[in-house]
Amino acid sequence: MSSEPLLRVENLKTQFFTDAGTVRAVDGISFEVYEGEIVGLVGESGAGKSVASMSLLRLVERPGEIVGGEVTYKGETVFGLEEGPDGELREREEMLSNEAVRERIRGNEIAVIFQDPMESLNPVFTVGGQLREVIELNRGLSKEAARAEAIEMLREVGIPDPEERYEEYPHQFSGGMRQRVLIAMALACEPSLIVADEPTTALDVTVEGQIIDLVDELQAKYDTSFIWVTHDMGVVAEICDRVNVMYLGEIVEQAPVDELFHDTKHPYTRALLNSMPRPDRTVAELEPIEGVMPEAISPPSGCRFHPRCPDAREVCRRVHPEPEEVARADSHPHNAACLKHDAFDVGYDGSAPLEGDPRTTAGGSGGEGGE
Amino acid sequence: MGLLRYTGYRLLQAIPVLIGISVITFLLANLGPGDPVSLMLHGQEHDQELIRAIEQRYGLDKPLHERYVTYMSGLFRGDLGQSIHHNRPVADLMLDRIGPTLLLVLSAYAFALVTAIPLGVLAAKRRNEPTDHVSRLVALFGVSTPSFWIGIVLILIFAVTLGWFPSSGLIYPWRPPSTYRSIDGHLELYYESFRHLLLPMIALGTLQMATIMRVERTQMIESLQGEYVKLARAYGVSERTILRKHAFQVAQLPIITIVGLNLSTAIGGAVLIETVFNINGMGRLFINAISQNDYQLVMGITMMLGTLFVVGVIITDISYAYIDPRVTYGETD
Ligand code: SF4
Repeated sequence: MSSEPLLRVENLKTQFFTDAGTVRAVDGISFEVYEGEIVGLVGESGAGKSVASMSLLRLVERPGEIVGGEVTYKGETVFGLEEGPDGELREREEMLSNEAVRERIRGNEIAVIFQDPMESLNPVFTVGGQLREVIELNRGLSKEAARAEAIEMLREVGIPDPEERYEEYPHQFSGGMRQRVLIAMALACEPSLIVADEPTTALDVTVEGQIIDLVDELQAKYDTSFIWVTHDMGVVAEICDRVNVMYLGEIVEQAPVDELFHDTKHPYTRALLNSMPRPDRTVAELEPIEGVMPEAISPPSGCRFHPRCPDAREVCRRVHPEPEEVARADSHPHNAACLKHDAFDVGYDGSAPLEGDPRTTAGGSGGEGGE
Repeated sequence: MGLLRYTGYRLLQAIPVLIGISVITFLLANLGPGDPVSLMLHGQEHDQELIRAIEQRYGLDKPLHERYVTYMSGLFRGDLGQSIHHNRPVADLMLDRIGPTLLLVLSAYAFALVTAIPLGVLAAKRRNEPTDHVSRLVALFGVSTPSFWIGIVLILIFAVTLGWFPSSGLIYPWRPPSTYRSIDGHLELYYESFRHLLLPMIALGTLQMATIMRVERTQMIESLQGEYVKLARAYGVSERTILRKHAFQVAQLPIITIVGLNLSTAIGGAVLIETVFNINGMGRLFINAISQNDYQLVMGITMMLGTLFVVGVIITDISYAYIDPRVTYGETD
């Protein structure tokens, strides 16, 4: 694509410094979001999706810290380090200050829809009051104007009798209705980008469908870009334009959604797709991914997926693949971090299949090998 | 509307509790050891006629249940009986003495809240930093040190050694200044009143302060980790507003409970503090009544303490319902 992306993330690293050691929750991810598109961030829980999305707003809580990389939004440096004269990393001069990020970016430029609609609203303030506060703050409106806008947004997200509901407290709303309130809050700030962090995970399937339809509709109307964080490939298929698949803090595959589904390049993505319930498959045909995701505190050597990968070979244990462009689709690259592709010239084909690796759990078919 | 009805509902609920308190108090006072009549007679214990006369006068010759009914019907008319020792109506005695005790307890609470809440919030904000450790030590001291000991130490330091504050008695701000010989004008009255109140107030309030401070800290830490705080941050709300409004409001709910339920502890503490500081309050009246076997007076004060406790619980519940929107008003709502 020729135009500048709305958001560019380069080699972003976020780590948590715990007593047990350093957790590399986000370990050098790069992706872009263009205007008007919905970009998926997919992976199992613990892959680092939420930490990654919060890092974009510099909202990582202690003991977590963004330790490297660059986040550029509309040409402004939200985060960026450079090497100082003493060889130490320091913040770049043009990097926005904490105050600037808080006042100019959070809410009014990048808004978040949180995962847990039950806990994300403050129980002791009215729904309307909370909406109004956020609108006042991010749109610079007066109290009355913000109130009118809040009621309008409640109507927009399909909450009946918004004037009355405005005065009610969160506990008087159902889960689905609360999620609508959170969506209203995000849209009311008129941001260019909305980060939706597993917004439907806590909801039942029917409500989930309604919420996704609602977001689809509103996204088309407001032309807001989205980063959609989820573990659910089904949701990705329904809503995303482009997808980033995360595994243990890394993006292992990146492609437009159709391309990803039809020409899957990474074994982990394939495993995710195979484990996804689909109408044309019985439960018995579902293939759960083998083993559990290792801790990000001590990631496996080489390719981090190798203990669970059905295609793993000896070389996978030694060489760590960085994402490479392995195909192109719709003028977007299709990147994958898997050594079996020709773009990685490290002798995968000549390498012996991995067998009997102690890290492979449950049945251990980890060694069929071959393309 | 819901709140009003809820209040009425809670008050109705209190009636059986109060009746229970009255029965137990009555039984304890009348069946307990010590015989008020022989105490009154001072060595004339063998004059059977005199004994009968006194028993008749105070209704002690009647069976227990009849005496209870008489007592209760008096209670409804505000008649708590006659103090044997003081030879005055119990209600009058109590009215005379409740002012100082209320003044002491309420100011101790005011002191506790005004110091504990900001300190608790600060400790939560600076969690595991020196401020937090110091506040933990202060709280530990406050919880584990008896109030009368604090009172004695305060007297030794600030009254005896430094002479900054008086060591005994209270000046009552509601009395006309002319009551006190050395005071002219209201301003001086209030000033003197405060000077007299300060030490006993701190002595009595320290325990409450320590308790409230620790709960405030815990609640604030929990509240600051709430999802709604994350949301507020993500929408650019300043840390100051989050601390003072978003997290704070949620954290105050348990404080109300503590204040309400600790009311009886505070009044119990007041008994000792009144003794240490020589304050003529309800506490001293109570202690003397017990040692003098003045069972009418003991009963009256016990009834009042029981009622205060019940009222405290009701006020707690109601303010909880008022502040926390999640509390529903019983089945009526
Ligand atoms: S690099 Fe090797 S282990 Fe990793 S995904 Fe590709 S085949 Fe599997």
